[in-house]
Amino acid sequence: MSANSVLSAPLILPPPRTETGMVGWMRANLFSSWHNSAMTVVATISLVLALWFGLGWILLEANWAVVPTLGGRIIIGQYNIEAACPGQNCFWRPQAALLLITALLGMAWAVAGGGVTKRIALVVGGAAAAFAFLPYGLDQMGLDVRLLLLANLPALAAGWALARYTRLGSASWIAILSVIAFILTLVLLRGIPGVPLLHPVAVIYWGGLMLNLLLAVAGIALSFPVGIVLALGRRSRLQVVKLLCIVFIETFRGVPLITLLFMSQVLVPLAFPENFPQNSLVRAAIVITLFSSAYMAENIRGGLQSLHPGQVEAARALGLPGWQTTLFISLPQAIRNVIPPIVGQFISLFKDTSLVYIIGMLDVVEISRAFIQGNPEYLANAKELFIFLALVFWVFTYGMSYVSRRVEQHLGVGER
Amino acid sequence: MATVLRNLTYQGIPVWRNIFVIQWASQILSGVLVVVLVSWFFVNIGNAIQERDIPYGFSFLSREYQTPIGQHFLDYKSSDSFLYAFVVAATNTIVVSIVGVILATVLGIVVGVSRMSGNWIVSKAALVYIEFFRNVPLLLHLFFWFYIVLALPPVRQGYVIAQRLYINNGGVSFPWPSPTNAGLAATWVLAAVAAVIIGSVVRRRLTQRERETGQSSFPLVAGCAAAVVIGAAAWLILSAAGGAAPFVISQPEPQGTFGRISGGFTVPGGLIALLIGLVTYTSSFIAEIVRAGIQSVGRGQTEASRAVGLSAMSTLRDITFPQALRVIVPPLISQCLNLTKNSSLAGAIGYSDLTNVAKTMTQTAPAVSIFILIMAAYLAMSLTYSLIGNLYNRHKRFIGS
Repeated sequence: MSANSVLSAPLILPPPRTETGMVGWMRANLFSSWHNSAMTVVATISLVLALWFGLGWILLEANWAVVPTLGGRIIIGQYNIEAACPGQNCFWRPQAALLLITALLGMAWAVAGGGVTKRIALVVGGAAAAFAFLPYGLDQMGLDVRLLLLANLPALAAGWALARYTRLGSASWIAILSVIAFILTLVLLRGIPGVPLLHPVAVIYWGGLMLNLLLAVAGIALSFPVGIVLALGRRSRLQVVKLLCIVFIETFRGVPLITLLFMSQVLVPLAFPENFPQNSLVRAAIVITLFSSAYMAENIRGGLQSLHPGQVEAARALGLPGWQTTLFISLPQAIRNVIPPIVGQFISLFKDTSLVYIIGMLDVVEISRAFIQGNPEYLANAKELFIFLALVFWVFTYGMSYVSRRVEQHLGVGER
Repeated sequence: MATVLRNLTYQGIPVWRNIFVIQWASQILSGVLVVVLVSWFFVNIGNAIQERDIPYGFSFLSREYQTPIGQHFLDYKSSDSFLYAFVVAATNTIVVSIVGVILATVLGIVVGVSRMSGNWIVSKAALVYIEFFRNVPLLLHLFFWFYIVLALPPVRQGYVIAQRLYINNGGVSFPWPSPTNAGLAATWVLAAVAAVIIGSVVRRRLTQRERETGQSSFPLVAGCAAAVVIGAAAWLILSAAGGAAPFVISQPEPQGTFGRISGGFTVPGGLIALLIGLVTYTSSFIAEIVRAGIQSVGRGQTEASRAVGLSAMSTLRDITFPQALRVIVPPLISQCLNLTKNSSLAGAIGYSDLTNVAKTMTQTAPAVSIFILIMAAYLAMSLTYSLIGNLYNRHKRFIGS
């Protein structure tokens, strides 16, 4: 507190009011020059018009009845129809699988102790439970369905408590349990011959958003390790391995996924004996995985190339063997560097699951299209249905990119 | 004693730990494994083909295809061969690819630049556009637009703008120049191309002179004027010599009770839906690429150019964007490839692209051969795009260095 600061204090004037606060912000961001002002005016007018007509259409003109008419078909496709599940109601099986997922999310919340995981767990559990209050009649949506949906909240709490008060509350246990839960989900959905409540349901009846999510989860979980192996193979000093990886990657990247899916349907059954059990869902999952892993390999290779060679040299100088250098030094840093493109690839894999229409599987998009095709009275409302589906997809994909941004922040990419 | 000595003396690395041996053994093993698996796959397919009497080979290519193709830009009739039908389908894909790539690039650049705009509203509007369009499956885009086109009124009740533009569920029809005489028209097209070349030469010369002497001579205006004058002169001379203008404007006209449109040029509804869907979807990815490219140019470049008095527009056009292009072009090319491959979804909305026609062909022709043909066709398209991209890249790098 010298005399200097006392003297200069009155000389520091506050900034002019036009440069601070709301007015200053608008001057800087909206009206900094005459053409910027013109742009602001034009953009505002067109946005207001678009909002006016858009909201008017959404609230007054659009007929959203087509969405509840499809109802459960959007979620599970034809899983519950009489032909798939003769003489019994199979709707409880996907719902039980959903309970497993919410329980796992509850566990993850307890382990992570809040943050994104907590938010995701609460949103998923809350949304699932909220479906129980849909204004359907009891004949369309039975009490059992509603109770099972409501059970998502206790499942969330149970998972949380399980992770909090038992020894299962660690990241590695959750990883193991997720794999078990995925297999359990598949068993639940497929059914076991001879078990009374678990009548087998053929995979051609699996559909709706359930099918998209199953394919996406399987594809993401498998294409990531395959992509890593392919990326390492492409950078290998072993010429034969390198050549094989390049041929694989470039072939799968060069052809549209839809062609691969279709050809897998036409060609692959020919390569097996006629009585060999064939499963179009497994084939689709394998093709999507291989296709995605070729792109994944290129992303990871980019990450490996961005790594300073000093890292590997230092690791080798410290005496780490080659596999440990790759596993503990190169890969973690390489993958951290390319999280955005990897998540971008996950997102496009999720979007690509809608292409299984080509092999006759009724995913959420195809079942909607088939519904419109079969009920021409809804032809004029097709856009409402597709806008609704676009929003559903958007919620999932935006959620994925949100998580990826948080993971990046957590890992301190660009800071360290 | 002897054993101890032998154990103490160095005897070289044992075979199973020799890195050279391990590497070669693993390579040979993996190579053999893959070759065995692939050949097992194809031998089995070959056997199945023989057992089930499915035809194979490429002899089917000269057979008549005998199936109609919905839309075609080349002349096609059902008695044409499989090979020609394949070429027709490939042309359909190529047309979508070229038009789509041009439109998506333009729209993508506009949105990407808007995203970087200092104007808050414009920037946020671009953000919403990008985030919404790229996070929704392309198939949904296509269905959305397709059902909007389908829900349009039929031709007789369709929208007509200024008696020229017809919009209905058959597509969009507009006036189009049609040649009166093939020879005359071809001659004028050649003359027009020559006029454009001469015009650009004039512009380049004048620009060079302007740069050297500092005298402004309006190079762009002069170049355009030269091209227009030569083109118009050729038109007049050819009209006088041939007795008729090389081209007349053909107007679209609804015919009959169902109102089939004849004359003009009709873009079929399926193609419109496909193009709108592909262009909006791909442009949202291109916009992000453009944004990343502009951000990669150092801030100092912008600041320096503003400091020497260039306007914001000129800074973007002459300083930032040319430098950003180096970062933009490689991923842009891969987006163009994606657009081409994504156009294979056209079958879902009834446009006869390569994959859709090939899918129909597998009912009457061997699937293995069709698969090989499709792969070759898409590979050729990929390689062409990569080649253009690489040439452009090299060109850019030379100027930069």
